[in-house]
Amino acid sequence: MVRRADLTIRQTGLRESEVILAISGELDLSTIETLVDQVDTHLQRRVDCLTLDLRDLAFMDSTGLRLLIELHDRAQHEPWSLKLIAPRHDAASRVLKITGADVALPFEPENGR
Amino acid sequence: MSASLTEQILDRAHSAVVSMDESGVVTYWNPSAETMFGHAREDAIGRAVADLIVPERLRAAHVAGLRRFLSSGQGPMLDQRIELSGVRADGTEFPTEMTISAFQDAGRWSFHAFIHDISERKDSEKEHRRLLDELQRALHNSERRFDAIVGSLTDAVTIRDRDHRFLYANSAALAHLGFATWEDLQATAPAEIMADYLVWTENGNQVTMDDIPSVRILRGETAEPLLIRTIHRQTGEQHWNLLKAAPLLDEAGEVEATIMIIEDVTEQKRAERQNAFLARAGAVLASSLDYEQTLRNVAELAVPDIADWCVVDLVDEDGDRHQVALAHKDPAMVRRAEQLRAYEPERLDAERGLGRVLHTGEPRLYPEIPDAMLVDAAVDDRHLELLRAVGMRSVAIVPLRASSRSLGALTLVNAESGRTLDRFDLELAEHVAARAAVAIENARLYSERSSIAHTLQQSLLPVELPRVPGYELASVYIPAFETTEVGGDFYDVWRVADGWMIVIGDVTGKGVQAAALTSLVRHTMRTASEFESSPARLLARVDSTLHDQPSRSVCTALCIRLEQDRATLAAGGHPLPVALTAEGVSELGEYGPLLGGFSKATWRNRVVDIRPDTIIMMYTDGVTDAVGEDGIRYGSRRLHEMLRRCRGRAAAQVIASLTNDLETFQSGSHADDTAVLVIRRLPMPAAPTVTDQDRVPAPLARGAR
Repeated sequence: MVRRADLTIRQTGLRESEVILAISGELDLSTIETLVDQVDTHLQRRVDCLTLDLRDLAFMDSTGLRLLIELHDRAQHEPWSLKLIAPRHDAASRVLKITGADVALPFEPENGR
Repeated sequence: MSASLTEQILDRAHSAVVSMDESGVVTYWNPSAETMFGHAREDAIGRAVADLIVPERLRAAHVAGLRRFLSSGQGPMLDQRIELSGVRADGTEFPTEMTISAFQDAGRWSFHAFIHDISERKDSEKEHRRLLDELQRALHNSERRFDAIVGSLTDAVTIRDRDHRFLYANSAALAHLGFATWEDLQATAPAEIMADYLVWTENGNQVTMDDIPSVRILRGETAEPLLIRTIHRQTGEQHWNLLKAAPLLDEAGEVEATIMIIEDVTEQKRAERQNAFLARAGAVLASSLDYEQTLRNVAELAVPDIADWCVVDLVDEDGDRHQVALAHKDPAMVRRAEQLRAYEPERLDAERGLGRVLHTGEPRLYPEIPDAMLVDAAVDDRHLELLRAVGMRSVAIVPLRASSRSLGALTLVNAESGRTLDRFDLELAEHVAARAAVAIENARLYSERSSIAHTLQQSLLPVELPRVPGYELASVYIPAFETTEVGGDFYDVWRVADGWMIVIGDVTGKGVQAAALTSLVRHTMRTASEFESSPARLLARVDSTLHDQPSRSVCTALCIRLEQDRATLAAGGHPLPVALTAEGVSELGEYGPLLGGFSKATWRNRVVDIRPDTIIMMYTDGVTDAVGEDGIRYGSRRLHEMLRRCRGRAAAQVIASLTNDLETFQSGSHADDTAVLVIRRLPMPAAPTVTDQDRVPAPLARGAR
């Protein structure tokens, strides 16, 4: 039986045009759809900036990374910007470090928000 | 008693024989009775037994007992050995053991007592007490009493005299030997106690009284501790005991008694044997995609150590069952059991036995199979005869459970060994069944997927790893559970101008698209390597090919060029390989960017020396991301620890250790594809003798074909 991971997404920003999603739990093949759906819902409205706060993310695999890369691609061609806040947990930051995504994707500098 | 011949025989009996009539008057008195009680036959006959030989304090009971028997027919003292005191002509009392029988002749009862004087035996018991008292004093200078110490030991302790009679047994020993009281134990001969058990050594040789350490000591031999496996004939309960004995010497230095400590090591031995079995079964299950053959191999492993019989039945989607394995150490028994199949319906009764287990998915333990159950199950006389011939004593049935349904069941049966199966056996069977179910499911999914995208799948993995001189390679591919899609992990090994190229990678995504991408990556690398054997430049080529794709296509890859004593490697978004060298475990190389993921990415080669006996493990994140209890990930720390234990092992053994470790760790099935490739530099460079590679089939792959 394949375990279903838990993923929690909380919208923390106050302004409609600046969406901040705080994501906690595990981001993998079994939970990715939840995040994709939420992000799509927001991007269908007029959004200037989407921030994904991954600080409390406990785990992320290559599926999660792939979504970040695709969002980054979209932000290059669409009128909104993507900001990422790096995960603190090793199991979530490992895939970013191994793939060089920690450097290549628009992660906010430490403490910058 | 009518025949005088009988009297003539009794006249010569060693036992005292006394007969009396319904009124309690002596009618017969043999010479031994004369000697024992000191009354002549002429004086005794015609007198009341009560007055003659029954001590005064017991007379009322004697008379009441006789009256009760005559009125109700109840004689609880009859026909068994009883101990009663007797009284002699001179008024002295002495202990006797007697058997009283009653006979009816022409409507009247007569009673006959066979009596033994057991004063001597009682005396020797007193002597035993004395000896034990001495022993206790000898063992204790302090105030603490012997029994307070030895009595509270959880190990069974017995002390026996030269005739093997018990002088002492602590409460653990009484419990161990199955006696409620010390008196019960004393009343039983040592050989009788042993007769209650089937006793073997660890390697299955029968143990006799002569092998017992205390008996050997009495023969003047030195007695090594003896590990025995006992099965109680009645209860079928199994125990492992370690027997240790030492002599107790008298003042003259002669062996006066022996002390034996019986350590119950059942739990340790059970765990030891079960773990050994699980490890072997795990390796067997991981060894091949031919799951029917694999299940037969596991069943063969189980007999006769785990059970006398091991049977595996599978059920197909239509609910028809197929027996795929039937193992017993005696081929003749297997043939007999095969005849039973003719009686078994393909559709099973969901209410009982195997059918019930398959239907409910719940394991069942039948500790005892009474004959009535066989009679109930039998279709006809011949069937019953066969069932009885197999001699089932105890049965455990556990389901082979996949995500949503029962794939089949594993059945353990004990028969001629006499051992009943218990909850520990059931647990073990469940462990094996869980692994077997995963192996079956993987194999089935693999073949389903093969039929969906056969051509693509063929291109994902090499049919067989090539032989690389001076090295040995082994690999495993474990597809994700609960998916019928083509996985994204791949590996490949091929020859290049200046060595061997070894690649492992992971295309994110699933299905035919992922397979097509995998194929693209592999062919790009192979083609590019004809002109270019720098791993970093090969990764760059793949990266640019991926960027040319119409939609975002990303892939991780680790590329190693292996030469005789060094390796050049570059990583593209892939976990670094882990190496076990004389210095320990470490990662090789440096991280490099994901292929196809980012613009303006670059990769660098790193060169490392590879000394003999170095083991390098390349893996995909299915290994480190494997989920255990409480959602904990396997992680690189566990991987490093596992590899640290693999020093000196062949590549295939390293793979087996890892897959075993992963299976033990995982709480569920593989959620993600997992690929592992192990490179080991052979200990002596280019030795043309038999190497581990010749002995171990490579690849040891569950999925690799």
